[in-house]
Amino acid sequence: MIQPLSDVKRPTGSALDAAESLLETQQLEVSIGPQHPSTHGVFRMDVKLDGETVVRLKPVMGYLHRNHEKIAELAPSYLASMPYTDRLDYFCSMTNNWAYAYAVEKLAGIEVPERAQYIRVILAELTRLVNHTCLIGFLVNDLGALGTPLLYAFREREKILDLFESVSGARMMCNYMRFGGVRVDMSDEQLDVARQIVDAYPRFLDEFEQLLTGNEILLARCQNVGVLPRELAVNASVTGPMLRACGVDYDLRRVDQYGIYERFEFRIPLGEHGDVFDRYYVRLLEMRESLKILRQALKDVPKGPFQANVKMRNFKPPKGEAYGRIEAPKGELGFYLISDGSPVPYRYRVRPPSFINLTILEDMCLGQKVADCIIILGSVDIVLGEVDR
Amino acid sequence: MSLLGTGILKGMAVTAKNFVGSYVSEERLTTVQYPEEKLKPQEAFRNFPFLVFDDDPDKGIRCVACKICEDECPPQCIYIERETDASGKPVPRPKKFDIDVSVCMGCQICVEVCPFEAIKMDQEYEYSNADRFYGLLHDKNKLLKPNEYYHKIHPKEAAEVDAKLAAKKKKPAAAAKPAAKPAEAKKPAAAPAPAPAAAAKPKIVIPEDAPFNAEQRAWLSGFLSSITQPIGGPAATAPVGSAAPAEAPAAEAAPATEAPAEAPPAEGGEPWHDQSLSLEERMKLAQGRPLEDKLMAAMAQLDCGACGYDCRGYSAAIASGQEKDLTLCAPGEKPTADKVVELMNAAGKA
Repeated sequence: MIQPLSDVKRPTGSALDAAESLLETQQLEVSIGPQHPSTHGVFRMDVKLDGETVVRLKPVMGYLHRNHEKIAELAPSYLASMPYTDRLDYFCSMTNNWAYAYAVEKLAGIEVPERAQYIRVILAELTRLVNHTCLIGFLVNDLGALGTPLLYAFREREKILDLFESVSGARMMCNYMRFGGVRVDMSDEQLDVARQIVDAYPRFLDEFEQLLTGNEILLARCQNVGVLPRELAVNASVTGPMLRACGVDYDLRRVDQYGIYERFEFRIPLGEHGDVFDRYYVRLLEMRESLKILRQALKDVPKGPFQANVKMRNFKPPKGEAYGRIEAPKGELGFYLISDGSPVPYRYRVRPPSFINLTILEDMCLGQKVADCIIILGSVDIVLGEVDR
Repeated sequence: MSLLGTGILKGMAVTAKNFVGSYVSEERLTTVQYPEEKLKPQEAFRNFPFLVFDDDPDKGIRCVACKICEDECPPQCIYIERETDASGKPVPRPKKFDIDVSVCMGCQICVEVCPFEAIKMDQEYEYSNADRFYGLLHDKNKLLKPNEYYHKIHPKEAAEVDAKLAAKKKKPAAAAKPAAKPAEAKKPAAAPAPAPAAAAKPKIVIPEDAPFNAEQRAWLSGFLSSITQPIGGPAATAPVGSAAPAEAPAAEAAPATEAPAEAPPAEGGEPWHDQSLSLEERMKLAQGRPLEDKLMAAMAQLDCGACGYDCRGYSAAIASGQEKDLTLCAPGEKPTADKVVELMNAAGKA
């Protein structure tokens, strides 16, 4: 005889607890990485799981340590560190170059000509487009949308990298900025290519958004996942889109107004909840603001010298120290230099945004499911070349 | 609240658009079927360095083995040895020039610092090799490529470089003519007195309004001074033999520390300004001269600009105390640095 459903005796809360106390359960330690496609390089997460819930997460870094800072202190010259900065965050070599050149210019008191300033802004904002487009591609790749959005992102990125190559000679390892300017001038044709890219980009962004933003799976996986409280973000000196997704209005382009950013009109998109979805969406909006800056910069890029007269060899800044920081796509990228008057810095220190943004990974992951760890890490936007240096 | 699933359907529409679009629009199908298809590299594209030669790979090599690139290379992947002739004298040509391309990062800094336009960036990118040690260690023979090849891969840049080199060659020749005439360099015995006078002012040959920056000016003035005076042992020593005695006592009489300030540079010519002479020979030629001349004789006489000056400028800067670093002469290496320190110690200045 079939029992009616209402008559089935269900275990009450206490009965469930009793059953569980009889069963022997164990917490499971899982080591995600270092060789794991979702860790964006060689990075390891030591995760302790209770069922599927994360109860502890220890980030293990240093697998890609290359002695960047010490090499710079032993290099033949200040200039010799410039190609090494390309290899920090290899997605954004232009902004890395800029940050280092900016610090040295501060140290030696070098004025940068107008045209070089404009070229720097143009290339830096294009770099921001490259970085954010790819990051979104990687993020949805981590969600399980294998390939398609990432390849669309790479297709668009390649157009910008082609421009970088025609300007600097290399797609990614540009080594393009110099103390007091840029290495070679941008021709009118190259500026036109930049204009074409800027004109075509909004269409791609619309398509990208149509593909992703409304997608129910993406919303379900990203909303209210990996929430970063505003206070914690500020206290942990998180910067960049991560911080702005928590609703903190802090962008060095506005705060420091380095270079010529005070001339451009743009808004700073802010998130509200500080979850993965906000981080994704802030980046999308930031790209649209970058396009705004690009349009203004490309409209009134002036003619003139692109390089201040700075000695390339035997360049010796006066004794002193300087900290130059810019808003890299991932956050505040700073170079701290101490000069003792010799041709190499006495101390050379990088403040890498991805490393510092990564320090609060555990706080965001605690209590989340193990699958969410992957996308939380993806939304932090790290490049291991910069984390480990 | 929209109907569940509409977001996914909208996304599917985008993928469908891209899928169908890839058959009709170039913009949506960007795949290149490498290795069957290859894109032409962009003009600015750079990969690894190569050495440029004009006409003949042996004589036309532009590299003078000044070792500036070796010094400035960030990952230190260049190794250079200078050629010597039968009698052991150094010749401004590399005997060995190795680049370890497994270390090279293609940063182009060697190209930027080379004052002789001798090293340029190649566009060859298929370097895979089964031998991971020597297969990727490129020696001089592998690195040497003709100027025509450079023109082929970087047409615009190569044309600029050629124009620059032609201007460099023409300028000194034109400027040297009036100065060289009275010197009669070919007849060493005749008229020894005017020779030093003519060679005494190599620096003011370049007009003030000439379109050079400070670095080029320094290089050029050094270059000019090297050709406005006779080159070679007997030709060079002849004027010294007759002209120096007149000045030597004066230089010796003055206290060594004050000499550089009082004695005008290049008085009596610069017979040691010949890179084929050995350090000892050069020092002999500068015997009895003021400190600045002695210092200059210790330099490598390349006027390569490695120190940021030409040879004369650097020795003047050391003698006057403006330049404190005594080890900047890259091509002279340790012997020069030691000699300079020794001279400065002797003068009681170091």
